[in-house]
Amino acid sequence: MMRKKSQSLLGMAFFGPALVLLTIFLFLPMILTLVFSFTDFFALNPGLTHFVGLDNFFQIFQDEEFRRAFLNTLCFVLIIVPLQGLGSLGLALLINKVTHCKKYFKVAFFLPVVMSLAVVSTLWIQIYSPEGILNAILENFGISAQPFINSASQALPSIAVMSAWQGVGYQMIIFLGGLQGINPALYEAADMDHATPWQKFKDITLPELKPLCIFVFITITIGAFRMLVQPMVMTGGGPSHSTYTMVYDIYETGTVNWEIGLASTMAIVFAVFVMILTVIQTIATRDKEEKDVDKKTKKK
Amino acid sequence: MKRLPLAMLAAMVSAGLLTGCQGKKPAPGDMAGYDEGEQYLSIWVHSIEDTDEGKCYRESVEAFNEKYNGTYFADIEFIPRNDSGGGYSDKINASVMSGDLPDVLTVDGPNIAAYASNGIIQPLAELTEEEKSVYLESIIDQGTYGGKLYALGAMESSVGLYYNKEILKEAGVSIPDENHPWTYSEFLDVLEKVKPVVEEKKGYALDMTFPVGETTIYFYAPFFWSNGGEFVDDSGLKVDGIFNGKENIETLEYFKKLLDRGYMSNVPVENLFESGRAAFKFDGAWEVNSIYSSYPDIQLGVAPYVVGNNWDGGRYTPTGSWAYAASAKTENLQGATELVKWMSGVESGTKLWEMAKCFPSTYQAFESIEIFKTDENYRALYNQLSSFGHPRPKTPVYPQVSTSFQQVMENCVLTGEEPKKELNKAIERINAKLKRYKVKE
Repeated sequence: MMRKKSQSLLGMAFFGPALVLLTIFLFLPMILTLVFSFTDFFALNPGLTHFVGLDNFFQIFQDEEFRRAFLNTLCFVLIIVPLQGLGSLGLALLINKVTHCKKYFKVAFFLPVVMSLAVVSTLWIQIYSPEGILNAILENFGISAQPFINSASQALPSIAVMSAWQGVGYQMIIFLGGLQGINPALYEAADMDHATPWQKFKDITLPELKPLCIFVFITITIGAFRMLVQPMVMTGGGPSHSTYTMVYDIYETGTVNWEIGLASTMAIVFAVFVMILTVIQTIATRDKEEKDVDKKTKKK
Repeated sequence: MKRLPLAMLAAMVSAGLLTGCQGKKPAPGDMAGYDEGEQYLSIWVHSIEDTDEGKCYRESVEAFNEKYNGTYFADIEFIPRNDSGGGYSDKINASVMSGDLPDVLTVDGPNIAAYASNGIIQPLAELTEEEKSVYLESIIDQGTYGGKLYALGAMESSVGLYYNKEILKEAGVSIPDENHPWTYSEFLDVLEKVKPVVEEKKGYALDMTFPVGETTIYFYAPFFWSNGGEFVDDSGLKVDGIFNGKENIETLEYFKKLLDRGYMSNVPVENLFESGRAAFKFDGAWEVNSIYSSYPDIQLGVAPYVVGNNWDGGRYTPTGSWAYAASAKTENLQGATELVKWMSGVESGTKLWEMAKCFPSTYQAFESIEIFKTDENYRALYNQLSSFGHPRPKTPVYPQVSTSFQQVMENCVLTGEEPKKELNKAIERINAKLKRYKVKE
C-alpha cells in the first residue's frame, strides 16, 4: 500500500512540471478563449469588457469576410486533400519500385518538408511571378503568361499546389513505411493466381494501407485548415480576399484589430468545425469489418 | 450587461505571467547610473537592441541620463516587433491588462488615436510654442488627437514619385516645380507621351501596385486628399458621406483610367522601375539609397506628388512613423514629457539618420545633415515633407480604415468593381468597428 502511494507521488513529481506548464500555456488559454468568445473583450481597453452572450457568433456569421474566409479554407481543403493524399501515395508506390538511387529520391521529395514554410513561400513567389520560371516554361509550349498568385481565380489553387509540393514528402515517407510492412507472401500468392498489377494494388496494397490512409487524410485535412503562412507571405490574403483563410481572419481580428472577443469566437467555431469534420472523416473511412463488429455488439 | 470579474482576473494572471510579473520600480543604486534623488523613468521601444536603430535609442537614452544627471534616470527596454506588428503590440496589450505600462512608450503614428481614445497614453505636459516649432508640422499634426498633443515622432518618413530621367528626356517631358505639381489630367498627358518609350522596353509608364498591408494607404491616400477627399471626419468617428464622398469616387475612377489605358500592369512585375522599364514609381524614401547603391545605371529624379484637379494648395503628401508618448500610467508626466522631447529632439534625430538612415522629425536636424542640402533627390523629399506632409487618417479604428482602403483600391482598380458600391461596403465594415466608440460618447 505504502509502496503504491510513494510510486504515485513519484509519478506526480515527474508529471507535475509538465502539468503546470500545460495548464498555463494550453488549458488556461483554451478556457479563456471559450470565456472570451462570449464577451466583447477589446485588447486596448480590457476594463470595458462585457458579457455579450451569443452576439459574437451571430456577428461572425453575418460578416462577409468571415464567410469568405470559411469558404476559401474549405475550398483549399477540397483541393489539397486529394492532391496531397494521392500524390504521396503515388510517390510512395513509385519509390517502392525503384531499385537504384532510392535514398536520393526519398531525400529529394522529403527536403521541402524540412524547409520553413516562409522560405518555401518566398521561393514560389519567384516561380509564380509574371516573369518567373513557370511562365517561361509555359511560353515554350505556346501558352500565354498566367498571373497565378496575382489573380483572384488562380491564387488559391496556386497556393494549394505549392502547399502540396511542400507537404507531400512527409506523407510519402509514412506510406513507404506502410508499403514495406506489407507481407510479401500476399503478393506471391497473388502472382500464383495470375492477378493483374491493378488487382494486386486494389485487393492487397490498398486494404493493407487503409489504417495509414485514415491517419494521412486526417493530418492533411487538419494541416490544410490551419493554413496561414502561405497566404500571409505570398498574397497577404488577396487578391480580393481570394486567399484569406479562417486562421488568417482570426489572426487579423485579434492582433491587428485588437478584437480578442471576436477572434476567440472565430477560434471556437473553427475548432468545432475541424472536430466535426475529423469525426465524419473517421466514420466514413472506417473499415467495413469494424462496422460489422459494431453492429454485432449493438445487437447483443 | 454583466461584468466578468472572474474572467478578467484570469486574464490578468496570464497577462502578468506573459509580461514577467514586473511592475516593481527599482530603487536608487539598483542600477548603474541611477542615483539617490533622481526620478526613475521607464521607456519601451519597438526595436532590437543589436540593430543600428536599437543602438541609437540606447545612445540617446544614455545622453538623456547624462544631461539630466541628478534629476531623471531613464531605463530603456527593447521589445522586438515582427513585420506584421505583433510582438511589441502584444506586450503593450498584455501590459494594459496587468497595469504594467512604462512611463514612456513608442507608438506607430496611425495608432496614436486608438491608444489615446482607449486611455493607454495621455496628453503630454504643455509644450511652449517655441518647443513645438522645432518639429515638422506633420509631426505635430500626427501626434495631436482631439485637440491635444499626445506624441512626438521619433522619426519621419516620406514617399517619392520617382522618375527615370532618361525615359522622360526621350519622351520630351519636363518636371514641374514643387508648388505646381501635375494635376490628374496633366499627369495623364505625361503618361501618354511616355507610353511608347517604355513599351519599346517592354515596360509600363508606372510601376505601381496596391499590395495588402499599410503600403497602399500610405502611398496613395495623397491622391484622395489632394482632390478634396477625406476618409474620416475631425473627430475620427464618422465616415458616412466622407469615405464615400464624390471626390473619392472621382479619384477611384482616375486610378481605373490608369489601368484601362495600359499605363500600369494589373499584376506586379518585379523591379520594373529598377530595371529601367518604367518611367515612374511611388516608393518610400529608402528607394533613393537602394537605387544609388544597387542600380547606379538608373538616373533617378524625384517629381512632386501628383494632385487632384481640385487641389487647393493644401498639405497632402505621405508621412508618419513611430512616435514617443507618455503612458496613462505614468505619475511623472513632466519627466515623461522631458524624455519624449529629448528622444524625438534634434540630437536624437540626427543620430538616427547617421546610424539607421531614418528621416529625423525636426527642421534643425534636417538642416544639419549634409545630404539634404547637397543631394537633389533627398532635398526634394525633405521639401515635400516640410511643405506638404499630411498624416494618415486619425481615428481609433485606423486598422480597419487602412484595410478597407486597400480592399477598395484592389477591387475597384484591379478587379473592376463599382467604386460607389465598394466604398459603401467599406463604410459598413468601418462603422461596425466604430460602434464601440460611439456607445462610449
